[in-house]
Amino acid sequence: KMAAAAAAGSLWRAGWRLWRGRAVVSWQLCPPQRAVQASAVLRRVSDEQKKEPSVSSSQFDLHPNDYQPEQEPQGPHPSYTGQGGQESEDYESEEQLQHRILTAALDFVPEHGWSAEAIAEGAKTLGLSVAAAGMFHSDGSDLVLHFVSQCNTKLCELLKQEQKQVQLGEAEKKPTDQFLRDTVEARLRMLIPYIEKWPQALSILLLPHNIPSSLNLLTSMIDDILHYAGDQATDFNWYTRRAVLTGIYNTTELVMMQDSSPDFEDTWRFLENRVADAMNMSNTAEQV
Amino acid sequence: KPVVDRIIRVDHAGEYGANRIYAGQMAVLGRSNVGPVIQQMWDQEKAHLKKFNELMVAYRVRPTVLLPFWNVAGFVLGAGSALLGKKGAMACTVAVEESISNHYNNQIRTLVEEDPEKYKELLQTIKQFRDDELEHHDIGLEHDAEAAPVYSVLKTAIQLGCKAAIFLSERI
Repeated sequence: KMAAAAAAGSLWRAGWRLWRGRAVVSWQLCPPQRAVQASAVLRRVSDEQKKEPSVSSSQFDLHPNDYQPEQEPQGPHPSYTGQGGQESEDYESEEQLQHRILTAALDFVPEHGWSAEAIAEGAKTLGLSVAAAGMFHSDGSDLVLHFVSQCNTKLCELLKQEQKQVQLGEAEKKPTDQFLRDTVEARLRMLIPYIEKWPQALSILLLPHNIPSSLNLLTSMIDDILHYAGDQATDFNWYTRRAVLTGIYNTTELVMMQDSSPDFEDTWRFLENRVADAMNMSNTAEQV
Repeated sequence: KPVVDRIIRVDHAGEYGANRIYAGQMAVLGRSNVGPVIQQMWDQEKAHLKKFNELMVAYRVRPTVLLPFWNVAGFVLGAGSALLGKKGAMACTVAVEESISNHYNNQIRTLVEEDPEKYKELLQTIKQFRDDELEHHDIGLEHDAEAAPVYSVLKTAIQLGCKAAIFLSERI
């Protein structure tokens, strides 16, 4: 009951963050026990007082065979509350470790889909036990959200680079419709290596417990795209434009799912038409 | 960040609403002898709104989704109070400006508590605007706002509305 209440609390907080414009992307809505288990697992490896002194280094990939997942703690592990000061300088944070595991797991998605199996395989390549996959949600949610977040970050970097180039005069400023087309295309192209399993990812993103996070990721991405497109609306257009772009992105994504043309040219043509429609609509609206 | 977000969003909504209130008042009383006075106050509000538009883009803040509503509500309030006569319009001005000044003062307190150095520019802007609004408040009093029909009821009602508007615009 406590876990359910805590999870519900996390969900509510996450949903509340949605109301704020640029909320921090923190999609780790793991119930408290997982955090405790994860920290306990990590602490155990770096704890130099444990029975296996050979696992004294905090770099996980040095002694892959020595790390044995002993009995999982029931409830709060004593070391969770106070190991302060004993960790070495390069102690990797839990979040960083999780990122590394999930990134490694992406290679196994084409084979295993967005699932705990892929995460387990990813953990193996890092020299960890497959039990490390227990740190994450069993339905592959964390993997999908991690991937989407990573893609959005890459997109942001790309947009920043382009903006810098324009500022330095190395590149021409693109007209809005071309900018939107190119940006959405660049973002959707990141899905190509995983396109077979993307429908599964979409269905995972639509699971009720993932909706706050996936919505958050979607809205931040759309906001970023429009920001770099030079949108300076401060009236209701702010909402209209974001809604329209979200529609364009989502529909194009769906078209891409069942596009079998070479290099997805049908999808890009669809995208071009939708962006043109949107520009037409806004021009007409201005004239009225 | 969330603090600044809210502040800019609600202030933007406030200046937008104030603009519409004066527009409503001008629509009714534009040709009367208080027309120029109202026009002058309106122009200052326009400048305020312009500033908040810029801040909104700079801080990448989302505008309140209630803007279309404030558009209509503001105009109706302005026109409605003006229909009660010149004193009615002035009473509305006094009520609104008093609310806004208190609101700005609260924000100034919040920002100073948080980090006066970091928010120096924003603080400067808000302080300046608060002084402008207080000036409007005094102008309203000078023009016999207190002699308006049902002044105290009007004032209370309008200030209640302002409180609600502030609460909602901060969040939605």
